[in-house]
Amino acid sequence: MKTATANKKVRSRRSLSRNDRFTLAAFIGIPTLMQIIFLWLPALITIALSFTYWNGINVSDIKWAGLANYKNIFFGTPVFYEALKNNLIWLLWFTFIATPLGILLAYQIDRKIKGHKIFETVFYIPVVLSLAIIGIIWNFMLQPGGFVQGIMGRDIGNAVSIWGNYSINTYVIMGVASWRHIGYIMLLYLAGLKSVDPSLREAAAIDGATEWQTFRKIVLPAMRPVNIIIVVITIIESLRAFDLVYIIYGTSTAWPLLNILVFQNFAGQGISMKGAAYAVILLVLCIGPILLYLRNVFKEDLK
Amino acid sequence: MMSEENNGISRRSVLKGAAVGGLGIAAGGSLLAGCGTKKVTGDVHFTIRGNLSDAGAKIAIAANDAYTKKTGNKVISQAVNSDDFQNNFVQIMQGTPDDAFGWMAGWRTNARADAGLLADVSDQIKALGSALSPAAIQGATNPKDGKQYIIPTTYYPWGLHYRKSTMKELGLDPESIATWDDLIKLCEATQKKGLVGYALGDKGGWEAMGTFDIINMRLNGYQFHIDLLNGKEKWTDAKVVDVFTHMGQLIPYMNKNVLDISWDGMRDLLLQKKCGAMMMGSWFANDFKAKSQEDYDDLWIVPFPEINPEHGVDSIDAPLDGISVAANGKNVEGGKDLAGFLGSKEGIDAAVAAGDTNIYISSEFDTTSYDAFNKQKLAVLGAAKNIGFFLDRDTRGDFAGPVVGPAIQSFLKNPKDLNKILENTQKQWDALPAL
Repeated sequence: MKTATANKKVRSRRSLSRNDRFTLAAFIGIPTLMQIIFLWLPALITIALSFTYWNGINVSDIKWAGLANYKNIFFGTPVFYEALKNNLIWLLWFTFIATPLGILLAYQIDRKIKGHKIFETVFYIPVVLSLAIIGIIWNFMLQPGGFVQGIMGRDIGNAVSIWGNYSINTYVIMGVASWRHIGYIMLLYLAGLKSVDPSLREAAAIDGATEWQTFRKIVLPAMRPVNIIIVVITIIESLRAFDLVYIIYGTSTAWPLLNILVFQNFAGQGISMKGAAYAVILLVLCIGPILLYLRNVFKEDLK
Repeated sequence: MMSEENNGISRRSVLKGAAVGGLGIAAGGSLLAGCGTKKVTGDVHFTIRGNLSDAGAKIAIAANDAYTKKTGNKVISQAVNSDDFQNNFVQIMQGTPDDAFGWMAGWRTNARADAGLLADVSDQIKALGSALSPAAIQGATNPKDGKQYIIPTTYYPWGLHYRKSTMKELGLDPESIATWDDLIKLCEATQKKGLVGYALGDKGGWEAMGTFDIINMRLNGYQFHIDLLNGKEKWTDAKVVDVFTHMGQLIPYMNKNVLDISWDGMRDLLLQKKCGAMMMGSWFANDFKAKSQEDYDDLWIVPFPEINPEHGVDSIDAPLDGISVAANGKNVEGGKDLAGFLGSKEGIDAAVAAGDTNIYISSEFDTTSYDAFNKQKLAVLGAAKNIGFFLDRDTRGDFAGPVVGPAIQSFLKNPKDLNKILENTQKQWDALPAL
């Protein structure tokens, strides 16, 4: 009896022991503090700097610029729109091609189709590599003097133009990025599918539902938490894309992305706060759709 | 916008003095360079730009070893990827930088010196005495305060490089080309034989600036070129359109993968005998020598031909390289001492003994020992009256890389968009904050 009441007390929030309170405070306080120092503070400083002219060296040189950096970007920098276009292509490609493919693959593997173990391994391998490594691998394969060119018997003088051929390079980059993304989504979805109660599907099958109906009406709603994660990951992965392209093109903006522009202007040889303005634009683009999506999801939940 | 008076006057014949002085038999300069009045001690940290496996790194280490042998001060060298070092230069210099490092004269030195990131090495330059021609010192001087923040050591011309054996096989003689039409004919003839006529890579975004620079200087003259890069002339000027029109005439003779390859791809095209002429700075010759003496002996350079008789071949890009010292280093005096040593005869001798093919500015260096290629480089330099430092050292850093680089790439992609590209380039210059 005594222990039972004690347990009840512990469970109620008000009567946490001093030790528990300390632990909780540490668990919440330290990460929050770190978030503030290493994330929110720099983010706020970046936002403030985006309204200034500065070469990144002496604080005393900071000059107020108003909206000049943004005006410059929106009205004077054509490469910004090229970057925006590339980021958008990346987002659309991931949303409508790579992510659905990953989901499809996970669904098929979960159904234990023939050779599912092999598929699982094959698509999983790229996931353990960082995009930077993937960039190095594919750059090595496709660049003039590279492996694939060698197999085709092309030397550096007559190598097939891939990274510099603007009618195909976008798709090649999308293919390379998907190579990893498909496996990543597959893995996440597979983990989610394992947690779907098999009796739900059996019941659907008994009721005569088709495979597609089962997936849409039963599996997809049951997978709701995973779906949210996948949508968020797809958006963030496409907008923050950087490493793969940086490895291939450097800061030269031969195939620009917003993040490359941030890097080129913020950390490059000619530091200017245009880079900060690019970073703010990117931040808004990243946070905007996600907030909108999450708000919708939680609204539905409340209903 | 750029307000400072660019070192315009000075740049005229900046290095010519050095070249001419160098051609004479080792000038007497007897000052003991690098020897200050008080003895400097302590370890010195040195950054090598490049990979440790590069020919250049081995040369730098050999020269540093010679310093250790002379002074007893240890030099701790680390190799840093050159692009990374340049991109993160400001951050590195604000942190805990190495004391000394190889660097480049021009905007990159002067702007960072103005911000207090580099140490004044005027004393070391004074100690080198007459070894450096007044013109060379002028080239290394920051126009804002008249002090030097880099000890100039080597320089190299940008010109048309080719392999003698290839041209001989094709029955062509690049040394005879005198005009633009000659160059086009040469490219055409090379291409007909199945080679690349005019090798170019621009994946890095800066390689094609060399071609832009030289055509602009040939067509419109050195002064227009420098004025353009400092905002005194407009990118929308018909003269600039003309430069790109000329560049466009070379496109049919270029390799079809210009935007796929970087400078090392260009080098490989030449190394593997896949191309005729290649417009590049001669610094890459070290890689030829590292490959084999035979390849190195086969390499040759001629000046870019005349386009406009008014300007002849009176200008050239000849970037000035040297050693700078970080203001925030742990051992600033040590860094200065090492920098002074590397600019002195002893330092140069050690580097050359380790296989350096660069030509040195110091007149104390015995040029009679130069090989044929180096003598040819001096001749190419000597033919020019005006010296440019290369586009990304002659204009501001927030303009060269982020604006001009993509503009030239866009042009190579779609030459028809030229007018729009130039309009945008001018617009972006106009939007730059005052310095």
